[in-house]
Amino acid sequence: MASLADALPATRLTPRPRRPAVSPIAWLVGPALLLFVIFFVLPFAVMAVLSLLSGNPAQNPNVYLTSRHYVRFAGDDLYWDALWSTLRIGIVTTLASLLVGYPLAHWMARMKSRLGHALLLMAVIAPMLTGIVVRTFAWMTILQDKGVINTTLIGLGLIEKPLPLMYNEFGTVVALVHIYVPFMVLTLTGVIGRIDERLEQAARNLGASRLRAFAEVTLPLSLPGIFAGSLLVFALSISAYVTPFLMGGTNVLTLPMLIYQQVSSSFNLGFAGALGVILLAVSLLVVIAYNHVLARFSGPEGLT
Amino acid sequence: MTANRLTRRAVLSAGAAAALATIGAPVILHAQTATLKITTWGGKWGDIMKAELLPAFEKEFKCTVSADQAFPFVPKLQASPKSNPVYDVLHTNSNEQWSSLDLGLVEARLDHKKIPNLADVYPYAISDKIVGVSIFTSAIGLGYRTDKGLKKPTSWKDFADPALAGMRGGYIIPVNSLGQCHLMMLGKIYGKGFTDLDAAYKALEALKPIKLVDFTGQMEKMLLAGEVNMGVIHDSGVLRYEGQNQPIDFAIPSEGVMALEQVLNVTPGSKVKELAYAYIDYMLRPDVQKKLAETVWYSPSNKKVKLAPKYDARLFNTEAKVAQLIQPDWKWYNARKDEIDTRVTRLLKG
Repeated sequence: MASLADALPATRLTPRPRRPAVSPIAWLVGPALLLFVIFFVLPFAVMAVLSLLSGNPAQNPNVYLTSRHYVRFAGDDLYWDALWSTLRIGIVTTLASLLVGYPLAHWMARMKSRLGHALLLMAVIAPMLTGIVVRTFAWMTILQDKGVINTTLIGLGLIEKPLPLMYNEFGTVVALVHIYVPFMVLTLTGVIGRIDERLEQAARNLGASRLRAFAEVTLPLSLPGIFAGSLLVFALSISAYVTPFLMGGTNVLTLPMLIYQQVSSSFNLGFAGALGVILLAVSLLVVIAYNHVLARFSGPEGLT
Repeated sequence: MTANRLTRRAVLSAGAAAALATIGAPVILHAQTATLKITTWGGKWGDIMKAELLPAFEKEFKCTVSADQAFPFVPKLQASPKSNPVYDVLHTNSNEQWSSLDLGLVEARLDHKKIPNLADVYPYAISDKIVGVSIFTSAIGLGYRTDKGLKKPTSWKDFADPALAGMRGGYIIPVNSLGQCHLMMLGKIYGKGFTDLDAAYKALEALKPIKLVDFTGQMEKMLLAGEVNMGVIHDSGVLRYEGQNQPIDFAIPSEGVMALEQVLNVTPGSKVKELAYAYIDYMLRPDVQKKLAETVWYSPSNKKVKLAPKYDARLFNTEAKVAQLIQPDWKWYNARKDEIDTRVTRLLKG
């Protein structure tokens, strides 16, 4: 007992080892991580599991593991065509959005007038305040055979038959670019705005032309913005459903359209899941390849 | 005196009790009222259902009705537990009822004793081609522009007129039952019968170039906008513009029209089955049928419905008229749907 009594004061005096404090950032990241797990990881896991089952276990307890949904995809070139069409639309939309969005973002980032910047920002954001369905219907009234463009051209006697502006990939890409350009512009503006203008001026002072200064200074430094913006637009384009459905007619078939068909009218959740897994896997491969290409262009510092 | 003093604790307690009562009262009241969960269409149909017919049903049966208008319904039912389904009554077209039956989501056969108004329906409404009961039908034929110098079509073969190239409208067959009906009709017209898919595929390919849409309502818009001069459509989609001076009309081809049935069925796991059956019986009442028929131009299933002359003239509401309706064999079609979807998509693409 004596030894315990003696020991007590010593215990009190000895400072207890402090547990490492949880970083406040970790607490802030927590909710986002939880949302990511609940709304992405779990649904994706369910979709991936369903893609490997013969049926829906919630409705039928006698389901078994099968690869038939993937075999079905692999064995029919219609699905490969749909995958290629999805990626092609995604890539073309991303490139077109970059070409349209970069000059606009550059102009916005370097604009001295606050009012001008605000007005331009409003002009970029304004279309986002309208729903995708409404914007797509607006494009339909412009591009369809009896639409504004064809009716005007026929009225002026410039063409006899309507130009094929809709019910094809062209119309689909035009509408998608209009819908997704704001994502590209907003992402790029932030990055270009942080590039020190004096670097470009230094290049000009050292004899570089305006074009060379842009190509060798501003453009490489804005690669992180190009990467982020492209990633965003590509991801949104390849998962678009409404616009390809309304603008593409029979000439456009993408994986999201097939997935919707499988869920809404064939009620085949397994095959829909397999298509979703394949789309995600292929998209990841494309993004990784794109990242590598941009990293090579951006030099030893990479995209950070 | 002390006992009557208003203390802070008393005020807080009274406040908490009041708050709980306010929050809890609707829940308690709701618990005493049965809720019937149904699916129903939007547009004019949905407007009259929500404004008049559902409130009247709620009042009569002392219940609340939760109506889902957001299509597609079957995947939502598929995702809910069978023992506690998201709907008590499923309203879809006939093809989806057959798929739902395969998935075990609806009753194989309704209890006729619980639906007295079934005694008055045309035989097609409860035929062996229907799972549940068809409360209305519309007829799938040809809609056409009357201002383009076209002769009124008299045969399905008129739809293949080369003059209509690029100006004829059909459906994305995998997602639209009118498109699926049209495909079967092509087999009948150009082949050995509704199940002659090879003849149907060949005839479908001959219709190219053709503009395809996914929703029936979109075909209405295409016809009204002059984007197509002739299209496969149900009579309701054209007749509802009568009196609005629109240059469109509906033609019944001599080979017959396919029936687009509006079918109701009960889900096996429904907790309010009696109410579900009462709702189906209510939807078959002559006054309810008349109201809806004259709002959306659907042909009523109840033989006792007396329509106003302009509706009577065009809707399928006599034994002789309903004899023209061809009911598709959806069980046969659904068994081949994947194969058909792949084939027609490949055929019409690009």
